[in-house]
Formats: sequence, C-alpha cells, structure tokens
Amino acid sequence: MADENMAEIVGTPALDGTYISEMDMWPFECQEFNRIYPFYENLRAGKFTTTKCQKCGHIAYPPGVICPKCWSDELEWVELPQKARIVTFTETQAGAPIGFPSPIIMAWLNFGEGAPLKHLLARIVNCKEGELNEGDEVKFVVFDVPSHPIEIKKETKICDRVYYAFEPVK
Amino acid sequence: MAEKKNAVIVGGGTSKFGVRQAHLLDMIQEAMKACSDDIPALKPTDIDGLIVATTMAGRHSSALNTAPLVVHRLGLSPTAICIRLDTLCAGSNSAIIVAKGLVESGMAEAILVTGAEKVYMPQRWETNYTQLMVNDHDWDSAMGLGVPPPFFAMIAKMHMKRYGTTKEQMAAVSVTNYTYGEGHTKGHFAGRSLTIEGALEARIIADPFGLYDCCPLSDGASAVIIASEEKAKELTDRPPVYIRGTGQHASHSMSAGWPGETLAEWTHLKVAAEVAFKNARLTPKDIDVAQTHDCFTISEIIELEELGFCQKGEGGDFVASGAIDIDGEIPTNTDGGLLVYGHPFGASGARQSLEICKQLQGRAIHQVKDAAFGLAHNLSGTCSQHTVVIYGKEPVD
Ligand SMILES: [Zn+2]
Repeated sequence: MADENMAEIVGTPALDGTYISEMDMWPFECQEFNRIYPFYENLRAGKFTTTKCQKCGHIAYPPGVICPKCWSDELEWVELPQKARIVTFTETQAGAPIGFPSPIIMAWLNFGEGAPLKHLLARIVNCKEGELNEGDEVKFVVFDVPSHPIEIKKETKICDRVYYAFEPVK
Repeated sequence: MAEKKNAVIVGGGTSKFGVRQAHLLDMIQEAMKACSDDIPALKPTDIDGLIVATTMAGRHSSALNTAPLVVHRLGLSPTAICIRLDTLCAGSNSAIIVAKGLVESGMAEAILVTGAEKVYMPQRWETNYTQLMVNDHDWDSAMGLGVPPPFFAMIAKMHMKRYGTTKEQMAAVSVTNYTYGEGHTKGHFAGRSLTIEGALEARIIADPFGLYDCCPLSDGASAVIIASEEKAKELTDRPPVYIRGTGQHASHSMSAGWPGETLAEWTHLKVAAEVAFKNARLTPKDIDVAQTHDCFTISEIIELEELGFCQKGEGGDFVASGAIDIDGEIPTNTDGGLLVYGHPFGASGARQSLEICKQLQGRAIHQVKDAAFGLAHNLSGTCSQHTVVIYGKEPVD
C-alpha cells in the first residue's frame, strides 16, 4: 500500500489554492509591479488616459516611461477620446480564452480624424450577439476584474483591479 | 578580411506534425533523424552551430534554455553559436537569417536550424493561457484576444468589404493547399482531401471563417542545415540552393500601432518584401515558387498582394484563377502549407524553406517545372512582424 496521503496529491502540491500569475488574463496593475500604474488609477476614475511627450508632443499608446518617438522621459498624462465607431467586428463562436465569455465580441475601432489614437482592437460588452453593426458608435466603459494577492515581507496585500472595454451608445 | 562566403540550404526534414503523443525533445530527435536521412553524409561533428527556434518550450515543456538540451539529445558540440531564438511563427526562418550572416562572415561552417513546439498540454485549455502571452498581454489579450481567428476574421471582413473578396475565393486557397498536401504523409492533415463545397459547408469558427479557413495548432519539429557552399559540397552532390536575400520587419506589438490604412493593408509586409527582393536582386516576377504564411486563407490572399505577385486587392481573383496551382503563375504552399501540413509555430519557417530547397533541387513531391527562385514568408504575432527569405539556384554575386 502506498502512503495514504499520496493518493490525495494531484499535480504540484505547493500550488494548492495558490494564485498562479502565469495564467492571469489581466495586467499586474499595482504600483509594486509597473510604472504606468496611473493608467489604472485613472481607469478607476472613469478616465481613458495615456502619456504625452512634453518634448516632441507625441501621444503614445499604450502609455510608457519614455516617448517611443524621441526617447524623452519628460511625459505627462493626457485624456483620450472615449467614443469611437465600429469599423468591423467579430463574434467568435469558438476559441475564446478561458475566463472570457463565449461568444466574445471584438471590434476594430476608429476614433476619427485627427484623434491621437487612430484605431484599437477592443472587446464590446453590454451587447448581445447580432445587435452590433458596422458604423455604430461605442463608448469607453470600466469594470472590475479579479484582484490578486502579492507578498510583501511575508504580508499578503490584495491588489484590486479594473479593466476597460467599449459598449454600444444607446 | 576574409572573403564573403555563400550560404546555402543543404537539406533537412520534419517530424510528423499533428496532435502528438511525444515530448518536444522526441520530436526534435525525429526531425534530426529525417534531416540525417536527407543528408546521409552529415555527421554530428560537421555541425558547428545550433539555433533552436521555439516559443512554447519554456511554458509547455519546462525547457526555457532549450539549446543545451538539444545539444545533448542530438550529440552535437557546437563552437560558433548555440542559442534558442523566438519570433513565434517566424522562429526558424528568423534562425535561417541569423545562420546566413554567420556562414557568410565565416564564423560558422554548418549550422543546424531546428524549430519545434509541443503545443498541446495535458490540460488542453492551458494552451489558451499561453495564447494570451504571445499577443501584447496587458492590452490586446486583456480584451479577450487569445487564439488568432477573431483578429484574422476582422481582416477577412475588411478585405471582403474593400476589395470584394468572397468566401468561395478563400475556399479556393484551402482546396489548392489540400491538393498540395497529398503525399506529404508527415502533415497534420495528411491523407485528407477537400472540395469547395466541403470548405463552404464546414462549421463556422469566427465569421467569415469556416473550419478549413484556419490552420491547426500542431505539435512538431523541423530541422535544416545552413552551410557554406564549400561545406555543402562535402555533404551532398545535390545542386546548391543559395540564400539570396532576406528581410524582416516589425511595426508594432498591439492594435493601436497597426500600420495599414485598414486591416486589409499589410504595409509592413510590403516593407519586409522590398528589403528581401532588393538584397536578392530579384523582383516578384522572378520567383517560381512561394511558401507564404497561410495561417488563414485570407492571409495567403493578402500576402500574394503585398509580396507583389498580383495587384493590391486582386488576391481573391488571383487565387481562384489557378495562379497558385502547380502550373500557375506562382505555385504557392506546394507542400500543403500551414493549412494542411500544420503549424508548430517555431517549426514552420524551416519546413517552408526545406520545401523551397527541394523545389529548387528538383525533388519536391509536387514539383514546379524548372524552379530556379523561391520565396518563404512568415507573419508572426498578431500580424505584427513579417519575415521573408528568398532562395535561388544561382548566388547573388
Ligand atoms: Zn517625444
């Protein structure tokens, strides 16, 4: 007879009940793990923001620590337009990553002439399959996503998180 | 300063592609065996460089620093280079670009380029988490973009809208590639055939794609030898196939940086192709056979346009006209391509280049008559990077 405890061990015992960052669908948003955390703080306040270069004026997306055009690190946070139009979209029948609903609606958005962010691939929420049309207007929306723990000097801190998508303007 | 040498592709082989009951290293050994059968004179001691192209090895096979593992399993002792390289779907053609430079400069004589992926994990759904990591995880992936069909479905819808491309034309790509897949017994879908009706009636994956518009994710490995012309002559009596020119261009990592006017324009591929053709001192008209990255049927259509084999917007008519058939203007994906032979990311580029090698040596299963110049192309990521390698029976100079 094998040790009766052995029978209960499935997979890697050390991982039992543990948060596994390698399988996380969302960013590490907290200050401890990235320097663009103001982006996520701004999301919480309902703002869609990014970094603008104070040297050359370039507005980058995603935001960063330096300007990808001139490599200056003199940046400021600016707001982006929250409305866009659907150029094309897809309602995926199969293969949505686990944790996302299926069908998942994704769209290619156009923010209009002269907008600093020209286009973006985005998930469309609060919308049923078959409801969306090319040319429809959509707006920025923020929602909670699962938090994760981080260990800081043997203490566990819970990091709350949010993410954004777009929803039809009704 | 030593004189510049010519780099050639000598030959190679692949493992069986598919959903495999095998470890990553088993499949690399299978590919090496096939490569050895293809180049019987090749000995482990001939190889002074190793480049292993793989994306999933770290996460799926717990083999992050893959090159030493391959050294041990293949009995190699490289002295010039011994690295793992990752450009996702373009891995082994990227490795061929690196190998070309090393051989031409005299730093290496014979480099083994091997690409391999073990995609399927014991829990298949885990693969979908890895898919989130091969896109720009915190941005596009957090929008739910994992496996590629939704993104390429939008590309297809855009191309249909702007240029009038039809589902029937897309089906012509998969039917042609299934015809070419015949006889390639190591292919993922070996032994299967497809009709236009069969393609159009298949279940929908992501509108407008049916099952046969999408390539499979495959386990598998490939191996080719890139050597100096002098070394190649020691290894084989077959005519040398020169690597004439290469180009590789990336423009962005996530959707906000997309370079085209719309999703239907792949200006970044145009750039990579122009560089490769310039280096090869050739034009699209000179190419007799091509292997383009047919991850989806629409991909092959757009690639034929951006590579310059037909006019922009005319790719749909072009593929349906028979231009990609064996006796057409530009026979394409003559071993079945990703759609039929399968797609173990890092392994695909070398599989394509090996098919071009065989075509130019006159020994392909579906042989293009008098093929003298060939081209291999990969896209990688969410169509963020393009890699082009051009081969010829004559060197550039
Ligand atoms: Zn700047």
